[in-house]
Amino acid sequence: MNVLILRTKTIFSAGLTIGLYLLTFVGHAQALTISGEVSKPLTLQSADLKAMTHTDVTAKDRDGKDHTYSGVPLVDLLKQAGATLGSELRGENLTKYVVIKAIDGYEIVFALAEIDPEFATRTIILADTVDGGPLAQGVGPYRVVVPGEKKPARWIREVKSIDVRFAK
Amino acid sequence: MLLLRRPGFVSMTINSKKMRVWTLGIIGIIALGMASWKAVDDPVPTGPYTLQYPASFGGRFTIPADNPTTQEGVYLGRLLFYEPLLSSTKTISCASCHQQARAFTDGLALSVGVTGKTTQRNSMSLTNLLWVRQLFWDGRSNSLEEQALVPLGHADEMGSKPNTAAKALQKTTLYPALFRLVFGSDTITDVRIGKALAQFERTLISANSRYDHYLLGTYQLTESEKRGMQLFNSAPSMERNVRGGNCAHCHGGPKLYQEVFHNNGLDLKVTDAGRQVITGLALDNGRFRVPTLRNIALTAPYMHDGRFATLEAVLNHYSEHIQNGPTLSHELPGQTSGFHLTRNEKSDLIAFMHLFTDSTFVNNPQFADPHHRVHRVHRVK
Ligand code: HEC
Ligand code: HEC
Repeated sequence: MNVLILRTKTIFSAGLTIGLYLLTFVGHAQALTISGEVSKPLTLQSADLKAMTHTDVTAKDRDGKDHTYSGVPLVDLLKQAGATLGSELRGENLTKYVVIKAIDGYEIVFALAEIDPEFATRTIILADTVDGGPLAQGVGPYRVVVPGEKKPARWIREVKSIDVRFAK
Repeated sequence: MLLLRRPGFVSMTINSKKMRVWTLGIIGIIALGMASWKAVDDPVPTGPYTLQYPASFGGRFTIPADNPTTQEGVYLGRLLFYEPLLSSTKTISCASCHQQARAFTDGLALSVGVTGKTTQRNSMSLTNLLWVRQLFWDGRSNSLEEQALVPLGHADEMGSKPNTAAKALQKTTLYPALFRLVFGSDTITDVRIGKALAQFERTLISANSRYDHYLLGTYQLTESEKRGMQLFNSAPSMERNVRGGNCAHCHGGPKLYQEVFHNNGLDLKVTDAGRQVITGLALDNGRFRVPTLRNIALTAPYMHDGRFATLEAVLNHYSEHIQNGPTLSHELPGQTSGFHLTRNEKSDLIAFMHLFTDSTFVNNPQFADPHHRVHRVHRVK
C-alpha cells in the first residue's frame, strides 16, 4: 500500500514538473499586454492570439535564409485594444508611438502610423510560429517581423508588452 | 578644475552661472578635508548642481521632481555615504562595501555587513547610476531614492531598524542643520536620507577612461587593443570567417552596458534564480542585469556571486565553459560551450578591457570620504 501511494505521488509530481517545464519553456504561460493610450487595455494569453486571424510573411532572418513567419498583424492587436487607427489617426494622434518590450528588457519603437495600413504598405506582424513550428527558446513566444526592413534589429524577440504613448 | 567643459559634453545646467559657485564649492570641500576644525561651520556650497556627461551617454534618465540635484544635497549625500552611524553597529557605511578605489566595489566575492554574515550577492560598482532604470543584479528597484533604504535596513548589511539611523543622526551637531539646508526642516527621516544619498550617487559619472578618449579621437589604440576591440564588437561567423566574442551585444555602447537581463551560461542548474524571483517568469530563470564593464579591471571578483577572481577566468568562461541551460541567452554559443578564443585573443580582449579604467573617477576628490577624524570626535554626542 505504502509503496503504491509513494509511486503515484512520484509519478504525479514528475508529471507536474514536466508539465510545468513544457508550459513555461514552450512559452504557453507567457501573456502579452497592450496598454497606454488605448481605450481597452488588454492582457492576451497565447490561446487568444492563436484564435486571431493570422498573416504569413516570408522574410530573410539574420541567417540570410528565407523563413515563413505566421502571426497576428500588429494593427489588429492595436485595434482590439482600441488604439486610434484608421480615420482617427490624424492631428495630435499622429504624434503617438508604440513601445514594444521584450522579457530581457530590450525595447524598440514604431510610430503608430508605421503600423496602420492606411499609411504603410507593409504589414508588421507579431509572429507566434516560424516555418510551421513554435519559435525557438530565446526568440518566442512572440516575435515582431517587419517585412522589407533591411536590418532585423526591430524584429524584437520574446515580446511581452506593447505600449502606446504620446510624444511629449 | 574638474568640471571644465569638454568637447561633446552635455551639461544638465539648471543655471550655468552657478558654475563658479560650484568651483568654489569644490575648493571648499578640499579645504574642509584639510582644515577639519572648521568643517562643521564651513559655508556649504549651495545652488543647483550641474551634471556633466558626454553627449553620447544621452539624456534618457529622470530625476524625481521632488528631489532635484543641488550642491547642498550632494554635499549631504556624500557625508551620509561615508557615515557609519547609519548602521546598527555604527561601524559600517555604504563605503564599506562600495570603495572608491575599487570603483565602488569591495574586492570580496560576497560582502560582509553588521552581522558578519555574507550578503547573497556580489557588491556592484556604483558608476553612471544616473542612467540605470532597474537597480540591483535582478533589477528589483526603480529609483536610487528607494534603493538606498534597502541596504540601510537589511539585517545583513547595515541592519538599521526603520528610522533608527535617522534618530542617531538627529543627535549629532552636524546633521540637523544640513538637513534643514537641504530639505527646509531639520527633521531627519529615512526618506530624506535616501534622497540625499541618491543625489550624491547621481554625480558618480565616469566618462574619462582611455576608451572615452579613443571615442573622442584623442587616444590611439595599440595593435593589441585594436584586435581586442574587434573581437569585443564582433559576433563570430564561420561562413564569413569572422572571429569574435559578441561582447558588445550586451556590454556595448559608450556606457559599456545595455540595460537588459540575460543568463550568460554560468550554471546548467542555477542556484540563484535572479530576475525570475522578481518577475515570476520561468524564462527569466538565471537571468541577471548586464553589468557595466566600466572600470572592470578594478572590480574583481566577477559575476553576481563573485565566482571569478580574474578577467582571465571570465574569458575562460565565455571561451570554453558556457553552460547550455534552458534560458541561456540566444547570443551565446551553448552548443559549442563557448567562443573558443585563442590565448592571444584572450590577451587582446583583456588589453581592450583595461581601456575602460577611469583613474580620474576613482581618484576624484569630490567622491572621496569627506569626514575627518578630528571633527568625527566632536560630532557624536
Ligand atoms: C554589506 C555591504 C553593503 C553595504 C553596507 C551597502 N551595499 Fe550597496 N550593494 C551591496 C550588494 C551586495 C549589492 C548587490 C545586491 C543585489 O543585487 O542583490 C549592492 C548594490 C547596490 C546598488 C545597485 C547598483 C546597480 O547598478 O544596480 C546601489 C545603488 C547601492 N548598492 C548603493 C548603496 C548605498 C547608497 C549604501 C548605503 C546606504 C549601500 N549600497 C550599502 C552591498 C552593500
Ligand atoms: C548575452 C549577453 C552577454 C554577452 C554576449 C556577454 N556578456 Fe558578459 N555578462 C552578461 C551578464 C548577464 C553578466 C552578469 C552575469 C551574472 O553575474 O550572473 C555578465 C558579466 C560579465 C562580466 C563580469 C562583470 C562584473 O561586474 O562582475 C565580465 C567581465 C563580462 N561579462 C565580460 C564579457 C565579455 C568579455 C564578453 C565577450 C566575450 C561578454 N561578457 C559577453 C551578459 C553578456
